[in-house]
Amino acid sequence: MSKKNNKLTLWERYLTKEIGIEFKACLYFFAILFFYCVYQMFQGVFEASMLHMAEMILSCYIIGYVQVYCYKNFDEADSLGVSEWMGIIACTCFYTLLSYFLKWFDKNWWWTLGFMVYVIFMYVCVYFIYKSKRRIDDKKLNEDLRLFQAGHKSSEDKES
Amino acid sequence: MKIDIKKIDSGEDEVILRYKEVTPKIKRILDALNGENNRLVGRKDDKQVVVDTGEILYIESVDDKTFAYTEGDVVRVDNTLQGITEELDDIKFFRCSKSMIINVDKVRVLKSLSSNRIDATLENGEHILISRTYASDFRKLLKGGAPRE
Repeated sequence: MSKKNNKLTLWERYLTKEIGIEFKACLYFFAILFFYCVYQMFQGVFEASMLHMAEMILSCYIIGYVQVYCYKNFDEADSLGVSEWMGIIACTCFYTLLSYFLKWFDKNWWWTLGFMVYVIFMYVCVYFIYKSKRRIDDKKLNEDLRLFQAGHKSSEDKES
Repeated sequence: MKIDIKKIDSGEDEVILRYKEVTPKIKRILDALNGENNRLVGRKDDKQVVVDTGEILYIESVDDKTFAYTEGDVVRVDNTLQGITEELDDIKFFRCSKSMIINVDKVRVLKSLSSNRIDATLENGEHILISRTYASDFRKLLKGGAPRE
């Protein structure tokens, strides 16, 4: 096993993180866009502002970086502890402040507050989605492990 | 090297090995014939001990010293992790981190963790973390594909 080939290069590590951030940015952008569209429809407007959408995707991208590099990627955490909740609250506050100052909801307090709750809910949902994904992965891994062990044992028996 | 393999219908199975000198290849064949691949020589309390590789749970390198852990014993091995991997030459021994090799046959349960890491619970209840760097090779190994050589 050569050490050189076995280790991920710095570039590969960076790329893995970068893809993760891109994915998160898209995921959260669509969730936020949904809330924004609901707000617009409630206002009787059936169009979305391109400027607001550009602001949203940019915000998601920047907060994605904050989430991954400053708050240890809390939505993919194994459990929701104090540090994870701190990350959720901090990122939610960033989104809420941005939505207020960039007038996504026309500085309407109630909708901004609703948006805040929605973002927390969104983070918790994503956490549970990742958690259930890992649970399914556990099953697959253990199935593969049993097959490997059975196959390895039978080949050893044949050899002996 | 000339290889002559014959299938016989009757009589006793026989292996004849003719060599001029013991090259690494010949040594590997001899070790395989003698069953040496299934044993690891180490030291415990200044005495030389032989460990059956099937009994090893994991091998760990601590402060440039290598230790093999079995259910109830710890044996110091005079070899590096890389050297042991080559010596054992068995897919059940997987390099799961910079400083550790685990015996996959001794893993009881696997748990998928965040950041693509894997927690392996061994038969003695110990938890070994398979780092992100090695996790994808581990998955490949379990799926029947050899890890990156």
